[in-house]
Amino acid sequence: MNAFQVVLSGALLGGLYALMAAGVSVTWGILRVINLAHFGLILLGAYLTYELVTAWRIDPILTIVVTAPVLFVLGAALQWAYDRLNIVEFNSLLVSFGLLIIIIQIAQDIWTADHLEVPRANNRYVTGALTLGRLSVPTSRIVALLLAVVLLGGGHLVLRRTFLGRGMRAFAQDRTVAAAFGIDHRRLSVLLGGAAGASAGVAGMAFMLANFVQPTAAYEWFGIVFAVVILGGLGDLLGTLLAGISVGALTGVISQVWSQRYVTVALFIAIIVALVLRPRGVFTRGRTA
Amino acid sequence: MTAPARAVRGGLPRGLLILVATNAVIGVLGLLSQHLGVTEYNVVLVSTVLFWATQATSWNILSGFAGYFSFGQGAFYGVGVYSMAVLTGRHGVNYLLSIPVGGLVGGALAVLIGAVAFRLRSLRGEIFALLTLAVPFILSAIALNSQAIDGGVGQSLPTPSFPHWVPNFQHLVFLLNLVVATIAFAVALAVHRSRVGRGLAALHDAEDAAEVLGVPTFRYKMLAIVLGGVLGGMGGAVWAVGHYVIVDSVFNLYFPLLVILICIAGGRRHWLGPVIGAVLLVVLQEWLTASNLGNHRDIVLGVLLVAIVVFAPAGLFQRLRAHPWLALGVFLVVFISLVASGFYADLDALLYGMIAAVIVAIVAGAPAIARRLPSGRAASPTPAPTALPGTGAAAGAPAQTVRASSAVPQRAAQRGGGRVLVSIRGVSKNFGGVRALENVSFEVAEGEIVGLVGPNGSGKTTLVNLLSGAMPPDGGTIFIDGRSIKGLAAHKVAHAGVARTYQIPKPFASMTVLDNVAMAVMFGRTGASLPEAREHARRHLTTVHLGHLAESPPASLNLHQRQLLEMARAIAAEPSVLVLDEALAGLNPAEIDDAVAVIQRIHAAGISIIIVEHLLRVLQQLATRIVVLNRGALIADGAPAQVLNDPTVVHAYLGRQRA
Amino acid sequence: MLEVRGLQARYGDAQALWGVDLDVLDGEMVCLVGPNGAGKTTLVQTIAGLHRAHSGSIWVDRVELTRMPAHKVCDHGVATVPEGRRVFGHMSVRDNLLLGAYRRTARRDYRTTEEEVYGLFPRLRERAGQYAASLSGGEQQMLAIGRALMAKPRLLLLDEPSLGLAPVIVDQVFDALAAVSATGIGVLVVEQDVQRALSACSRGYVLIEGRIVTSGSTDALRATDEVRQRVLGM
Repeated sequence: MNAFQVVLSGALLGGLYALMAAGVSVTWGILRVINLAHFGLILLGAYLTYELVTAWRIDPILTIVVTAPVLFVLGAALQWAYDRLNIVEFNSLLVSFGLLIIIIQIAQDIWTADHLEVPRANNRYVTGALTLGRLSVPTSRIVALLLAVVLLGGGHLVLRRTFLGRGMRAFAQDRTVAAAFGIDHRRLSVLLGGAAGASAGVAGMAFMLANFVQPTAAYEWFGIVFAVVILGGLGDLLGTLLAGISVGALTGVISQVWSQRYVTVALFIAIIVALVLRPRGVFTRGRTA
Repeated sequence: MTAPARAVRGGLPRGLLILVATNAVIGVLGLLSQHLGVTEYNVVLVSTVLFWATQATSWNILSGFAGYFSFGQGAFYGVGVYSMAVLTGRHGVNYLLSIPVGGLVGGALAVLIGAVAFRLRSLRGEIFALLTLAVPFILSAIALNSQAIDGGVGQSLPTPSFPHWVPNFQHLVFLLNLVVATIAFAVALAVHRSRVGRGLAALHDAEDAAEVLGVPTFRYKMLAIVLGGVLGGMGGAVWAVGHYVIVDSVFNLYFPLLVILICIAGGRRHWLGPVIGAVLLVVLQEWLTASNLGNHRDIVLGVLLVAIVVFAPAGLFQRLRAHPWLALGVFLVVFISLVASGFYADLDALLYGMIAAVIVAIVAGAPAIARRLPSGRAASPTPAPTALPGTGAAAGAPAQTVRASSAVPQRAAQRGGGRVLVSIRGVSKNFGGVRALENVSFEVAEGEIVGLVGPNGSGKTTLVNLLSGAMPPDGGTIFIDGRSIKGLAAHKVAHAGVARTYQIPKPFASMTVLDNVAMAVMFGRTGASLPEAREHARRHLTTVHLGHLAESPPASLNLHQRQLLEMARAIAAEPSVLVLDEALAGLNPAEIDDAVAVIQRIHAAGISIIIVEHLLRVLQQLATRIVVLNRGALIADGAPAQVLNDPTVVHAYLGRQRA
Repeated sequence: MLEVRGLQARYGDAQALWGVDLDVLDGEMVCLVGPNGAGKTTLVQTIAGLHRAHSGSIWVDRVELTRMPAHKVCDHGVATVPEGRRVFGHMSVRDNLLLGAYRRTARRDYRTTEEEVYGLFPRLRERAGQYAASLSGGEQQMLAIGRALMAKPRLLLLDEPSLGLAPVIVDQVFDALAAVSATGIGVLVVEQDVQRALSACSRGYVLIEGRIVTSGSTDALRATDEVRQRVLGM
């Protein structure tokens, strides 16, 4: 395989990472909730996709119509509960860790600890590839990247350019003052939690296009997702997208040059270096306050 | 509120003695267990409790005492486990020797983590936690990939030999765990009751304030993480002795989860918290396994974690300590009656007894009930304030008399009368290309009160930060008492004689007002012991008119009182120069008069003062000299009357409201 | 326009306000002075809906706002300039202003309001693209006032606008407030700098230990013993 091919397919894999990281980034950056249960939601999204495709024999992408709303409701309910009990920052890390463990155990009770995958007959993305000259890219990754561009790019525009988005960013910095300007933080945070949940549904589906799922997969996502979130800058969706692609390319190169096993090591070293040099995100523009 | 007082009263040597004696008794009982009719299962159970208590204690020294939460406990434990496995399994090293080696490796890892994390201010809170979450993953990858450690196939251990007076293998593991746990508890106890423990508690509450009061925060955090690393590594090594094969799953996430859960449940700010938490949770876990609910263990732990964080975030130790005899009594009654009834297994009885004790302690601690219980420590009344906060009574009569009496030394302290205490020479500071200070020079002599004024953004606060050593200047030098403070950490600058207050007060929330001030004495230039420090602290509180609130928590003070507390803490460090950064902001005229009187008293005690202030009235009353900054440059320096009439100053700063 | 009647507020068991009566008319600039801890900030926050009233009533333009949550109070034309400015540091100056126009009625013609604010504070136009955190204290105070004006309020509440500002900047802030009240907006200022407040406002209230002890024209207030002793410390 040539070098460009390695970087390209890695970068495309970054779309999936960015989709997974988007929800963690906005709830952390805006709501100050470090929601480890988000990994549980992605897991549920993946299992739901598996169930729907198996039962209805439809194209996996179509399952979003069901998974995204279902997980929207779950994410919104979760955020509502965090908000009611005033669980933020460190406590949210602990509480959501507890919730994640519960979700994983439940998933194991329902779907066992086995590897499951979407029936191949219904999944044309798993083997499909797009060939451009000498380059070949799996369709599953292209789909994931396109979804990431649409979702994160759109989210970014909403946050930057609309009154609603400005309200969310303001509320992230100072709830009291934001409330004095008409921002209903309960409604906004439930909405945002729901949006994060829906993105988990999409991420779970995108994951199932080319992977097996098992309950402990949620733990395996930790490293990459937090690398993307921290490198991208909290609450910065454009940064998250770019970070996802960069991390994807990096993992591609590392697993090619050394070994798959060193990917985690390299990622965590990248996180540490990023925290040292650019604590507010590698792709965040402008000054720090 | 009285927690610190109680902790110190016992004295360190006596506490250690009791601890060692208790554990020795447990050890002897364990060895004789076969003769006492105790089953092997119970020996293993105690052994397991000791193991988890060691790990939780190891975690708690940094994460509980100092508040630096870590998800990386598995890393220390894991390197301990692998040290034992590799040394005994591959190199034939004696297991007794390998235990301290495991501790050393854990300590070395801690040095590495600390050296990276504690150098950076940004690595606090959640970021530190996530960073530590990464460490076990990295170690796991290294272990898997290294043929010298694991290589992906695991590492087997030889069966250890043990002396004839140890009945069997399980007893050996029990004894090793007991020894390591005793060391761990002793270390935690010693840290908790020492200066280091007080320093860690202070930096838990307000790290910046602790540092400028003279707490060597970096050194203390390093000490805490290294002690944790050593203990965690030793505990891990002992764990490995009890197993035949080690695989890399020792670096899993379940491990730190249980450790954190133990500490949160038990209580993080006292050395006994993790021990209590370990007893409770390990018994619970064993009970789940014994009841065939082992598969739901994760769910139970997850629910517990959520419930404890939401409903009892301070931990059970506090509640149990408030009513120790009640809790113990309930436990014994329930346990003995259940065992005696014959219908319950020991484990059931043990768990139910403990749960009953915990519930009673929690209920007894609930505010409505605690008020009615005579022994309720939670209900101990704070002395009634002699004057209502912020009213005329507090600010009135005494202030007037003080002002009159302190007028004499103030007049006596003329410029040039004393030696130069602070010398700022050509100091500059940039922030990302923006000049905050440019070539600023001036001096402060003994006995002066120098007013530092200027428009917002003129560099006053930057100058204060440079003076207190919070950040280094880009150019120029600052001399305190003739000595350059270049390269000195903030706590060293404090020892050189500079104290400061913060514009927004930063009290140590977990300590009483008195102990807030006592901290400054302890870590100040004299380095007094806590009882001595409290003596001095009372005096300083009287100076700032806060004597009547000595036993209150800082949270109950109003803004004015908090600012006075800031001042008391600053002078308690016995500085030669006190820097007041807008210490009067937000006060009304009557309170300002009170604060001015306090400042004059401080000055009369022989402390030179640099005061950053916008109120001209205050400057006119206090300052012997005024220095004006504008856009980072010094534009005036001289007698108040002269400076306040300077046309440049009037234009840049004063506007209509001139002197 | 603003009518406060018999307002009581508490923090847990501690009562902060004991039956406060207070009025602000259209285009009037009224100050509220008193010692620290007297309950001034509590009063402002209770009017703004940021703190819950225990009893009594708050009316703005004959609409009762008592116990309405803050984000709804805003819809009835009350805007706040909080103590310590509290601008959104990680947002640009312009985004801060537009955030002020978040409520639906203000959103419609935010461009016009924005121009009016720039007219009042030309410095803000120069700095429109900068992060608010990079502004000086005085500029941040202007931004906080501009942000409040973007909400097209009928009543402007200010908590300690002079706090931590150089005297020359305080002059500018109070000049701007005079211009605001001249457009017919009612202004209620809480201020520690009592002299300044009394000279800038037409009417004032003195709040001590949660009760209004005296009120009236600022000239009259300056002469009363209550103010001289307990607030001015003379």
